[in-house]
Amino acid sequence: MNEWAGRVRDLTSFPLPGPLCLLMLLLPLLSPAAPISPAGPISQAYSLAVYMQKNTSTLLQTYLQYQGSPFSDPGFSAPELQLSSLPPAAVSFKIWHALDDGERLSHAQGAFLALTQHLQLVGDDQSDLNPGSPILLAQLGAARLRAQGLLGNMAAIMTALGLPIPPEEDTLGLVPFGASAFERKCRGYVVTREYGHWTDRAVRDLALLKAKYPA
Amino acid sequence: MDIYLCSKRPSWLVDNRRMRTTSDFQWLLSAFVLLYLMNHVNSQRKETPYDLKCTTNNLQTWDCSWKAPSEAGHGTLSEFCIDNRSRSCYQLARTNIEIPALSRGDHEITIRSLQDAGSSTSKFILNEKNISLIPDTPEILNLSADFSTSTLHVKWNDKGSVYPRHSNVIWEIKILRKKSMELVKLVTHNTTLNGKDAVHHWSWVSDLPLECATHYVGIRCYVDNLLFSGHKEWSDWSPVKNVSWTPASQPKVFPQDKVILVGSDITFCCVSQEKVLSAQIGSTYCPLIHLDGENVAIKIRNISVSDSSGTNVVFMIEDNVCGTVVFAGYPPDTPQKLNCETHDLKEIICSWNPGRPTGLVGPRNTSYTLFEGFSGKYVRFKRVEVSTNESYHQLLFQMVPNQEIYNFTLYARNPLGRSQSTILVNITEKVYPHTPTSFKVKDINSTAVILSWHLPGSFAKINLLCQIEIKKINSVQELRNVTIKGVENSSYRIAVGKLNPYTVYTFRIRCSTETFWKWSKWSNKKQHLTTEAIPSKGPDTWREWSSDGKNLIIYWKIWAFFSEAYKGPEDFMNPISLALHDLQTEQAVGMGKGILLTWHHDPNMTCDYVIKWCNSSRSEPCLMDWRKVPSNSTEALIQSDQFRPGVRYNFFLYGCRNQGYQLLRSIIGYIEELAPIVAPNFTVEDTSADSILVKWEDIPVEELRGFLRGYLFYFEKGERDTSKMRDLESGRSDIKVKNITDISQKTLRIADLQGKTSYHLVLRAYTDGGMGPEKSMFVVTKENSVGLIIAILIPVAVAVIVGVVTSILCYRKREWIKETFYPDIPNPENCKALQFQKSVCEGSGALKTLEMNPCTPNNVEVLETRSTFPKIEDTEIISPVAECPEDSSDAEPENHVVVSYCPPIIEEEIPNPAGDEAGGTSQVIYIDVQSMYQPQAKPEEEHEKDPGGGAGYKPQMHLPINATVEDIAAEDDLDKTAGYRPQANVNTWNLVSPDSPRSTDSNSEIVSFGSPCSINSRQFLIPPKDEDSPQSNGGGWSFTNFFQNKPND
Repeated sequence: MNEWAGRVRDLTSFPLPGPLCLLMLLLPLLSPAAPISPAGPISQAYSLAVYMQKNTSTLLQTYLQYQGSPFSDPGFSAPELQLSSLPPAAVSFKIWHALDDGERLSHAQGAFLALTQHLQLVGDDQSDLNPGSPILLAQLGAARLRAQGLLGNMAAIMTALGLPIPPEEDTLGLVPFGASAFERKCRGYVVTREYGHWTDRAVRDLALLKAKYPA
Repeated sequence: MDIYLCSKRPSWLVDNRRMRTTSDFQWLLSAFVLLYLMNHVNSQRKETPYDLKCTTNNLQTWDCSWKAPSEAGHGTLSEFCIDNRSRSCYQLARTNIEIPALSRGDHEITIRSLQDAGSSTSKFILNEKNISLIPDTPEILNLSADFSTSTLHVKWNDKGSVYPRHSNVIWEIKILRKKSMELVKLVTHNTTLNGKDAVHHWSWVSDLPLECATHYVGIRCYVDNLLFSGHKEWSDWSPVKNVSWTPASQPKVFPQDKVILVGSDITFCCVSQEKVLSAQIGSTYCPLIHLDGENVAIKIRNISVSDSSGTNVVFMIEDNVCGTVVFAGYPPDTPQKLNCETHDLKEIICSWNPGRPTGLVGPRNTSYTLFEGFSGKYVRFKRVEVSTNESYHQLLFQMVPNQEIYNFTLYARNPLGRSQSTILVNITEKVYPHTPTSFKVKDINSTAVILSWHLPGSFAKINLLCQIEIKKINSVQELRNVTIKGVENSSYRIAVGKLNPYTVYTFRIRCSTETFWKWSKWSNKKQHLTTEAIPSKGPDTWREWSSDGKNLIIYWKIWAFFSEAYKGPEDFMNPISLALHDLQTEQAVGMGKGILLTWHHDPNMTCDYVIKWCNSSRSEPCLMDWRKVPSNSTEALIQSDQFRPGVRYNFFLYGCRNQGYQLLRSIIGYIEELAPIVAPNFTVEDTSADSILVKWEDIPVEELRGFLRGYLFYFEKGERDTSKMRDLESGRSDIKVKNITDISQKTLRIADLQGKTSYHLVLRAYTDGGMGPEKSMFVVTKENSVGLIIAILIPVAVAVIVGVVTSILCYRKREWIKETFYPDIPNPENCKALQFQKSVCEGSGALKTLEMNPCTPNNVEVLETRSTFPKIEDTEIISPVAECPEDSSDAEPENHVVVSYCPPIIEEEIPNPAGDEAGGTSQVIYIDVQSMYQPQAKPEEEHEKDPGGGAGYKPQMHLPINATVEDIAAEDDLDKTAGYRPQANVNTWNLVSPDSPRSTDSNSEIVSFGSPCSINSRQFLIPPKDEDSPQSNGGGWSFTNFFQNKPND
C-alpha cells in the first residue's frame, strides 16, 4: 500500500542539467600515452565499492526511519520517484552490456559526482528536519565521503586506462532552497536509494573491469 | 476521528442558511402588511394617484414615488404639493420626486394628476416614520489574498460623507466558496461614520487553503441612525469579488510546512488536474472532501504532536503522489528558573530551563533573546543542536562597566507564540568563583606556611571569602575561613599559621565572596610537610636500680612529633627510695582496655606521680611502661595496647618529692579477669570408713588468670565408670557441694560418709572471671573395722559355747555313747598292712607304697587297738606339721585299722571325682582323698599318708586322732565316726572333698590357724565352713572382701 504509483519526474522542479555530460565522453579517446597498469586502481575501487555496498541498505533504512510515516512504514518503496538532477542507475541490461569501459566509467563518474552533491544537500536538509539525529547525519556524511573516494579511485582508473576525466560539474545547479519539507524528504529518499543502486552498478562495472585487467 | 469530523461540516452550513432564509421571509411579510394598510387608508380609489412611497439613502433627501391613476396616459403632468406653512408645489412630468427631508411630524402631501380629461387629486399624510432608510449598495474596493496564510483582505469605502455624523453602520460580509458559491462565512462588522469617506479593511483566515478553491466575497450595510425614526433596511449586496489560484501543471498540496498548535484543526487540500485516489496523514487515511474540479481536501481535527521531521500528509493521485509536512507543536513555555550569576565579574551567565518541550526543532525551534533593561543591550541564544544538556540553556552577557544592577528579560519565541521571564540581579551578590588553580604551599617557618593560588576574575572592588581545609594525617580536618581583598591580577596569597612542625598536612582551598552566594569548587589538594623544629621538651625518663643494686637503669620515651602532655621534671632526681616494707599489695581489676588507679591526695608529693607497670610473671627489674601524672591528680586511667586480659600486672605508684620518688602503693591487677585454665591438683590424704581428707595445691598465677576467689568441691557416690557428675551446676540433690571461699585453706575433710563406698570427688577453682576446669577422683572409704570384728567374734563364740556344751554332755554320757555307737572291736595286731604302713611313714611318698604292694583282696586282717588319743590331740594343736611324723609313726602302727582293698588296675591314678562316683566303690574313694590333698600341703601329706594313703579301711579308733582340730569336731567324730564308718557317708565326703580353689584357700588358712593335718578331721570340720564361705563372699563382709580393699589403698 506504500507502493506509490505516481511518477514524479521533477520533484524539485529545477531545470534539467542540460545534455548529459556523459554523452560527451562517449568518444573513447585512444590516448597515445599508454597507461602503466590499471589493475591496482581497479582493485582499490572495487574494494571500496564492495565496502560501500554493505552500508547502502542501512543508510536507506536509517534515512526512511527518520522521515516518519509513511516513509518509515515497513516495506515502503516508491520506485517511480526520480530526480531530474540525478541520473537513474536503472538501465536495461542490453544497453549496459553494449557500453564500453570508458562509457561505463564515465556514467558512474557522473552519477557519483551528482550523488556527492546531492548527499550534501540531503545532509543539510536533514540538519533542519532531524537536527537531533546524529546517527542519520553521520551516515549521510560517511556516504558522501565514500562516494568522493570512489570518484577519486575511478579517476585513477580512467587515468590508467588513458581515458579523459570529465570535468567536475555543478549537477545541482540552482539549489531549490524553497523546497518544502515533503520535497526534501522525497529528495533524500531518491538520493539514498539511487546511491545504493549506483553502488551496486559500480560494483558490477568494476568487477567487469577487474576481470578484464587482472593484477 | 478525522474521517468523522471531515464529513460533518457541510450539514452545519446547510442549517445556517435555512435559518437565515426563514428570518428574511418574516421581515418581508410584515413590510408587505404595512404597505397594504397605508394604501388602503390614503387611496381608496385607483382614479387618483396612489401608492406613495418615500425612501432615503442619506437621511437628507427623501425619494418619493407614487403611481398614477389607471386612466392617466404617459407624459401626464403631476403636481406634488407639501402642505406646510409655506406650501410648496412641484410640477412634474414623472411620478417620483426627491424632496428635502421633512421635519418630524405629519405632513400632508397633495398629488394632483393633470390629465386631459381633468384632474384627480390624492392627499397623503407623510411622516418620517413611514420613510425607509436604504443605504446605497456598498462596493468592494479591493479583495486580495495572502495564500501563505490563507487570509483574505477586503477593502471598501463607507461613503461616510453623505450621512450625518455618528451614524453606526453594520457591514455584513459573506464569503462564498467554490464555483457553486457555497456560503462558508457570513460576518458582521460595525463601524461608525464620521462624516467623511473612509476605507475599511477586513481580513479573514480561511480554514481551507485559498489555493484549493475560488473564494467569493460580497458586502452590504445597514445604517443605524438613532435620530431617524423611520424604517431602516439593509442595502443591497455588493457585486461579489473573487480570489482564485492559478494551478500549476503539477499537483500540489496546501498548506506546505505549516506549523500549528497541537490539538488544533487543519484542512489540507490537493490541487490536482487528475483524480485523487486517497489521502493519509501519517499512516491514517482520511475521507476526501471534493472541491471544484479534481481538487480535494481533508480535514484533520485535534492534531497530535509531530516527530522532529514533522507529520507527513500524502495524497495519492492517479499516477502521481503529492504531499506536505505539518509540524504540530507547542508555543514556548515560560523560561523557568532563570538565574544569572558570574564567575569572574566580567561575564554574566544566565541559565534557564525551557520548560515543556515545544516538539519543534530546527528552524522551528524556540529562539531566545536576553535583553538587559538598563543598558538596552541584548544577546541572542545561539542554538547548539548537539547540546550537552537539552534541559538547561544558558547565555553569556558581557558585563557593562560600573553597572551592578541588571534587569534581564528573556524572550522566547517560536512560530506558535512567545513568552518571557524577568530577573533583577545585583551581580556582585551573585559571584560563583572559578575553581582556584595553581594552588601552591610554601614554608614560612615550622608552624606557618603561605598558600598561593590563582583565581581569575575582576574582584578588585569586592572582598573574597575563602575557606582553607587543613588536614593532618589521622586527624580531623580543620576549616579556616579567611577574608581577602580582591585583586585585579587574580593572584592571591595567604599565610596559614598554628601548624605543627614536621607534620604532613594536606591543604585545599575554595572561595566565595563576602556576600556569600556559592562556594567555588575545591582546588586540587596539596600535601606539605612543615619544617622541623627544636623539641619543645626533653624525653620522659624513668630509672630503676638493677636487681643486683649495682646498676641504675634509665628508661626514656621518644616523643611523637608533638605532644600536648604536661611537662614533667626535666632534671634527674635521686633514685627511688623504696619503701616497700610497710606496703600492702592491693588488688585491682580494670575495665575494658584500661585500669583505673586512684589514690588520696598527698600534699607532700610536690612534683608528680609516676605509675609504672609490669607483667607480674617477669623477673625484676621489670618495666613495661610508665606514666607520669600531675601532682594534683588523684587518679589515673592506665591504658596500653600491651595489656591482655587474664594476665596479672604489677602496678607501682610512686610519688615525687624533692628528694626523689617514693613508692606509695603496689597494686596487682588484671585488665580483665578470666576463668582459671587449670584445675587445682588435689590428692586424698587420708581415708577412713566415714570420711575423706582431701588436700590440694595452689594454681600457678599464669594459669589462674584472675584473683582466686575460692574453690568448689563436689562429691557424690559413684563408681569410676558410672560417673554421673556431668552437670555440676544443676544442683542435683545427690551431689554435695562445698564452696571454699577461704583461699588459704588447702585441705578439706569430708565427713559422714558411708564405709566401703566409692565416692566421686571433683574440685575446681574459680575467679571473678569464671569457673575453672574440674578435676575429679574416685575414692572408696574403708570398712568399718569394729563391725567386722563383732561380725567375726559372735559366730566364733557361739560355736565354742555349743562345742563346749556338747563336749561336756558327751563326756558325761560317754559310756552310754560308747555302748550305743562304738562297741569294742578287737585290735588286729598281726596285720601286715600295719607294718607296711609303718615303713611308709618312715620312708617316701604314699603312692609309692601303693604301687609296691599289689593288694591281696582275699587276705583281710582286722586289728583292734585302744589308743591314747587325747594326748595326740594336744600335740597336734601345738605343732601341726613338725610332729606329725612322730605322732603318726607312734600311733599308726598300733591304732590304725587299715583295710587294704584296691582294685589292681588303679595305679598312680589321677583323681577324678566323677569317675570315682561312677565307680561306686568305697575303696577308690579313700585313694582319691589322699591324692587330692597331696599337692597342696605336702608336709602334712607326708605325715598323713600313713593313715590316708594306706587307708583302705580305717579303723574307727584312729579317727578321733585325726579329728582333733577343734574340740567340738573331735567329739563329734568320736561320737559319730569312731569305729566303723558307714559306707553311706562316703558320698558326702566325696562331694565335699574335691572342693573349689577357694576351699583350698580356706584349707590353707586353717593350716595357718593351726588346724590339724588330718584329712579326716578336716573333712568334718571344714565343710560347714566351706559352705559358709560363698555366702560371706556375697554378703556384707568376708575375708576376701576385707583383703581386697587393701590394694585400693
